[in-house]
Amino acid sequence: MKDASCISCDVAVIGAGMAGMAAALFAAQRGLRCVQIGNGGSLLFASGLLDLLGVYPVAERRLWRSPYEALALLAREQAEHPMARLAVASIRSAFESFVTALASAGLRYAPLGEFNRKVLTSIGTVKTTFGVPRSMIAGAAALEARPPCLLVDFRGLREFSARQIVATLGERWPGLRHQRIEFPGAESAPELYAAHLARALESRLMRERTINLVKPLLGDARAVGFPAVLGLARAGEVHAAFEEALGMPVFEIPTMPTSVPGLRLLGALETAVSKLGVRRRHQASVRALVFSAGAGPATLELDGAQGGERVVARAVVLATGRFTGRGLTAYRGQVRESILGLPVHQPDSRETWHQRDFLDPSGHAINRAGLEIDSAWRPLDAAGRPAWPRLFAAGSILAHQDWMRAKCGSGLAIATAWGAVEQVARQLRRVGAG
Amino acid sequence: MSQALFQTALYASLALCALGLVWRASAWFLVRIGPDVREITFSERVAAVYRGTIAALFSRDLLGLAGAFFLDVLLLRRLFAHEKLRWFGHLLVLVGFTLLLSMHALAPLVTANLFQGYQPTLAPYLLLRDLCGAMVLAGVAMIYFGRRRPQPGLAQPRRPLGMVFIALLGFVLLTGFLLEGHKIASPRAFQRMTERYVGYSDAQELEPLRALWASEFAVAFDHLKAPIDPGLVAQGRKLHSDACASCHARPESAFVSFPVARMLAPVTGLLDAARADVWLLYLHVFACFLGLASLPFTRLFHAVAVPLSLLVNAAATNRGYSSAGRAVQRALALDACVRCGICDARCSVAPLARNLGNAGLLPSHKLIASAALANGRLLRPGRESDALRAADGAFLCTDCGRCTSSCPAGLDLEDLWQAARGDLVAAGLPAPAHWVQERPALDWAESLGSGCGLHAFSDADAACAPLSADRNSFSRCVQCQTCTNVCPVVAHSIEKADGVDLTPQKVMNLLRLGLRDLALGSRMVWDCATCYQCQEICPERVRVTDIMCELRALAVQRLGAVRGTRGRS
Repeated sequence: MKDASCISCDVAVIGAGMAGMAAALFAAQRGLRCVQIGNGGSLLFASGLLDLLGVYPVAERRLWRSPYEALALLAREQAEHPMARLAVASIRSAFESFVTALASAGLRYAPLGEFNRKVLTSIGTVKTTFGVPRSMIAGAAALEARPPCLLVDFRGLREFSARQIVATLGERWPGLRHQRIEFPGAESAPELYAAHLARALESRLMRERTINLVKPLLGDARAVGFPAVLGLARAGEVHAAFEEALGMPVFEIPTMPTSVPGLRLLGALETAVSKLGVRRRHQASVRALVFSAGAGPATLELDGAQGGERVVARAVVLATGRFTGRGLTAYRGQVRESILGLPVHQPDSRETWHQRDFLDPSGHAINRAGLEIDSAWRPLDAAGRPAWPRLFAAGSILAHQDWMRAKCGSGLAIATAWGAVEQVARQLRRVGAG
Repeated sequence: MSQALFQTALYASLALCALGLVWRASAWFLVRIGPDVREITFSERVAAVYRGTIAALFSRDLLGLAGAFFLDVLLLRRLFAHEKLRWFGHLLVLVGFTLLLSMHALAPLVTANLFQGYQPTLAPYLLLRDLCGAMVLAGVAMIYFGRRRPQPGLAQPRRPLGMVFIALLGFVLLTGFLLEGHKIASPRAFQRMTERYVGYSDAQELEPLRALWASEFAVAFDHLKAPIDPGLVAQGRKLHSDACASCHARPESAFVSFPVARMLAPVTGLLDAARADVWLLYLHVFACFLGLASLPFTRLFHAVAVPLSLLVNAAATNRGYSSAGRAVQRALALDACVRCGICDARCSVAPLARNLGNAGLLPSHKLIASAALANGRLLRPGRESDALRAADGAFLCTDCGRCTSSCPAGLDLEDLWQAARGDLVAAGLPAPAHWVQERPALDWAESLGSGCGLHAFSDADAACAPLSADRNSFSRCVQCQTCTNVCPVVAHSIEKADGVDLTPQKVMNLLRLGLRDLALGSRMVWDCATCYQCQEICPERVRVTDIMCELRALAVQRLGAVRGTRGRS
């Protein structure tokens, strides 16, 4: 049965956030024919920094210099945590693979190394993270050595204030200064938007005009920081041009989401998966997901701007995220998985969803709710058996993790996508052989 | 048939046809569409066409022209791309009609000279004539039944006289088949022929020939009914081969006329008495003349205008249009369009047309309005509301280009719309955006407001703007600014103090606050380039662009009232 509105594939990835993108990428790298369904808009909330594991245990807020040591401890103490299911070597491969693919799509990261790094945020706090874009890495070095440093911001760009960063950090970093400049050509604009500035700075002329405004302000500075607006798709080129013209390290500081680094990440991931032949249905959503018995495929009925479409897939990866990604839906009495209504591990009653204190260091039980999986990354049904032999889950939809407090968002997404896709490949080989 | 009458009628219809063609063609040199060609004179256009023709015929462009003639004109490539049934119908009519015209109507001039010993009553001509007639009939049926259904809920565009020509063509074919059938079955025709070619006067001596013709040539003699004596038939064969066989083949191969002859057999005597052979011939021939004379005045004229338009396009592919050439091509487009409706079905703003109840947004209606504007009819007193509806149609077009790319006649419709917009502005009918931008959004909120209060939507609003009337379509917005960040219109107006007043995310916020009326006159809504980047990237999957389009439509509907006319009719 073959018609125009029906496409068949080895694996359908539902979701296009960090985990969905990573799953599609890894599946395509393994040579699986992949269809990806879902809008990548949630990636716009990413800062461009790729956390691996920064805090463990969450309740003690213990910061780690080596994420791999933290992971080893996590694996020993919290076996049910999704990242504890993977060997450290697998996580390392997953990360390397991910940033290599990003680099091939034009978004370059600093070499990953063994250790977490500390970077500045747009409100002057310090964030522990692992993968740092090339355009931000000089900021990590500056934060460590604290040389005389200039932070520049633009009048009208409301989500970024250099002055606030200096006010927060100034006592501990005496050489840190700030200057506000007008964005060239937008002197009368009441409000500026980061993506527009980023796109404008891809023009050589606009770059030169901006650099000419900054040069007289440098003084004794040995590094210059900007809000993350130095180019979009050609960010590498723009950043290099700033460093060359200013003659010193230049770094970006991530702005509030939705940010330019988020747009870059989305663009690069779209390019990377498309290059590998992943068929993307980014305006579609899954209306129905039906499994056939035995070795038969799953059928996904899609709703989309271009009308209905059917995807027939030998395996399915569920990477639909939590509440904001709409992978989980909270009803009055309980939380359910949104597409199939799969049972969700969750607190017994709504009263126990949250602690009394909102800022309680141990976090809230509801944040650790999610899908239970078996050893092959397959979500379980009410009876505790895999819901379908070739349905897998990855990313933040999984239970027993609190990625926000543990500073492991990207790590969770990338590592679990790697683990799930490994199992997809194994199961498909088994079906193929049988 | 009287030779004098025949010739008078022929020359009269030829003269009418020629006059009509001159009249229609003169429009291509006189009608002015678009401000850019307003100053171009009749003689400049004639000169441009002359120069263009010479240039195309005596250069390498001739190859392209020949290719276009073969693929676009003869094989109707563009129609094939969109409507297979109608394409096949057109092809059948084209082939069948051309052959009938040249080999049958003009037989003494063409066929008789090409084929030695041509007689219309010999094989294979009996078969071929009927085949061509049947092809035309079948083709016309396919064209008729393959036609597009009108857009639901919208007025049909006025069409040039189409049924007149189809009726005439059908009549010609019907009388042709009847005449042919009657002549096969007619004893009177047999009588006339034997008097001329056999020369016997004695009825008895001809009896064997009659028997043969009754049994093998379907002549319906009253007294010779089956079973006919085979001996008599055998006797007649000798006479037949001497006197008749050189001009007459057995008529079974005329697969339409022969069954007609069989059907007419019972009434052949009556028809003979009434001299049906004469009046059927008159009807057949005069219907042909009528068709010829009416050619420039019915929809069949597209058979002239479309090939011309296609060839002009092909000739202009390499060297482009001069202004004068452009002027001619636009006027030609008005004649080439038959309102087939392929463009209407693909029009991006068709849903908007339905929501607004204004068919004037659809390409076929816009073409008619362009013609009415060019000849001044649209601007006559009493047609103000038609003119405003036409202006709304012209300016709500998104220039997506689907009409042009789908037109089977290859018309450059986008150019026509562009030109018509210039004419509308010149006539004091500017884009709705022009009216809107005269005053700030807050003013409009009062004059365009529904007066229904917060969160209230009338049924009319819900029909016109279903998304913005449904909270579910925008309540998910989290004000993340992504839409604004990717918006090229906002980015462009960074440098301008009079740029957009609201950003897309602010428009969505007004909807969330139940202050939709505040957005109706905003520059953001009216300057939106409908590039859809915001809608494609929205993390909450709000249909931002669709909502902007709707708000515009809603404002246009209300603007109708503000401008003193009804928006809906």
